[in-house]
Amino acid sequence: MPKWFVPVAVVCGLMFAAAPLLIANAPYESTMGLVQKIFYVHLPSALIFLISAIVCGVASVRFLFGGNPRHDRLAWAAAELVVLFGIITLVTGPLWARKAWGVWWQWDVRLTASLMGWMVGVAYLLLRKYGGPGSDKLAAGLALFGMANVPFIYISVNYWRTIHPTTNVLPTLPVSMGLPVWFTFATFFLLFLLLLRMRVRLEEQRARLDALYLSADA
Amino acid sequence: MFARVVWLVLRKDLTVEVRSLEIAYTTLFFAVSCVLVFAFALVREGRAPEDGAAGILWIAIAFAGTLALGRAFERERQSETLRALLLAPAARPAIYVGKLLGIVSLLLACEVVLVPLVALLFQAPLFAQPVWLAIVLLAGTIGFAAVGTLFAAMLVRARTRDVLLPVLLYPITVPVIIAGVRATSTLLQPELDLAGIRFWLALLGCFDVVFVTLALWTFEPLMTD
Amino acid sequence: MITRLLVAIVMAGSLLGVTVSTQQPPPQQQEEFIPIDQLPPQDQLPAAPLLITAYSFVVLALFAYVLSVARRLSVVQRELDRLQSDTTRGRT
Repeated sequence: MPKWFVPVAVVCGLMFAAAPLLIANAPYESTMGLVQKIFYVHLPSALIFLISAIVCGVASVRFLFGGNPRHDRLAWAAAELVVLFGIITLVTGPLWARKAWGVWWQWDVRLTASLMGWMVGVAYLLLRKYGGPGSDKLAAGLALFGMANVPFIYISVNYWRTIHPTTNVLPTLPVSMGLPVWFTFATFFLLFLLLLRMRVRLEEQRARLDALYLSADA
Repeated sequence: MFARVVWLVLRKDLTVEVRSLEIAYTTLFFAVSCVLVFAFALVREGRAPEDGAAGILWIAIAFAGTLALGRAFERERQSETLRALLLAPAARPAIYVGKLLGIVSLLLACEVVLVPLVALLFQAPLFAQPVWLAIVLLAGTIGFAAVGTLFAAMLVRARTRDVLLPVLLYPITVPVIIAGVRATSTLLQPELDLAGIRFWLALLGCFDVVFVTLALWTFEPLMTD
Repeated sequence: MITRLLVAIVMAGSLLGVTVSTQQPPPQQQEEFIPIDQLPPQDQLPAAPLLITAYSFVVLALFAYVLSVARRLSVVQRELDRLQSDTTRGRT
């Protein structure tokens, strides 16, 4: 593991311990009350979900046109994190929505596009697991299409009628709410880096194992 | 040169298909059974649901399209013609466009039968705006087939290709299907909502351009070993 | 990995089931604005179970994933060590 791993892990752990205090001290939102506190995990995980999809897409492009297996490993790791943070977003969102909107789910553009983006991540993992030889390039092609979905998810809420909050909410937050949410985002982002590094290391070790097997047979 | 390769690939596919009509008949029959299953499932007291026609039409196109894609490339795989095509001194994007046009023609032929059938079974005034409907169907079919041709070609050498094609295809093409369904529903309204139609068609056009561009860009590296 | 994800989803599903079973049916459409503390108690949806479920799900999901990666890493590491010791033994 690289030198930055343990210090970042320690910092991340401390931030995770501090986050609940910040969230509990944040003021209540006027119309939604206690349930709005889900925002402090829903938003950061949604942002990390999108960031992960972009990382996967960019790494896939570099792998497709460059052929370096390092990029392929990064893409696979990022795809797993797309599925992880996607499912966190897609579960915390409806739990909040049940109280705030009165329904568990709405087929508006952002929710539908996010669900589809998550399913592309799942499809990527299924392809890597069951596709057989050559599935690394095919998955890279899939990830590229998935990445094209990301800007659509982000800006869709500004152009289509929906009850999901628009992108205008985040820049106009009061500091008392902005601080906890950006703190939690920083925590999640550090966790994202740590998880990415761990997962890439798994692929590196697998590649080393394969190389050893091949040289033993030779 | 590009256009010539496209035409040659398209002509080859159409010639092979016209001789046996295997994919055409099986895909068509599958699409018809799909529509009938929906009709039996959704009909209540002898009357079909009013707004179901648009969705059912597009679901049938999507399912039939997946089947046709799988079969078309299975045929290529069996005769190893795909490898021959790739070995030929032809631009890869031209081969892609040729195959795309072949799939689109096949799907359009199915839609010629499906649209009257859906209009009949679900009492939907699909022929009120025939020109607009034709444009919507063309745009949606191109979007769906653009992604489908790329993925089906990619999956030709994969192990579990039959199951993986729908798994990969549907999440990406859902926006095209949604736009197609919304556009068709708008056409089913009693008065023509020109602004609505233009909006959904613009969206479909946007998806088509993005998907075809991405597919053209990635076809070469994806088909290289 | 898929197993771990499925376990996490099942746990989340049971948490959700607990939450749902404590809910009342959704309120009817109201005709005019009624402040929330004037609504009859059965119309107010309790927020705490939803909040707790959400945060527990986040913690469980992250934990399950870390465990999954750690487990897979240890499996591969064991295999690598075994193979490396075999080759060094084979050489001597």
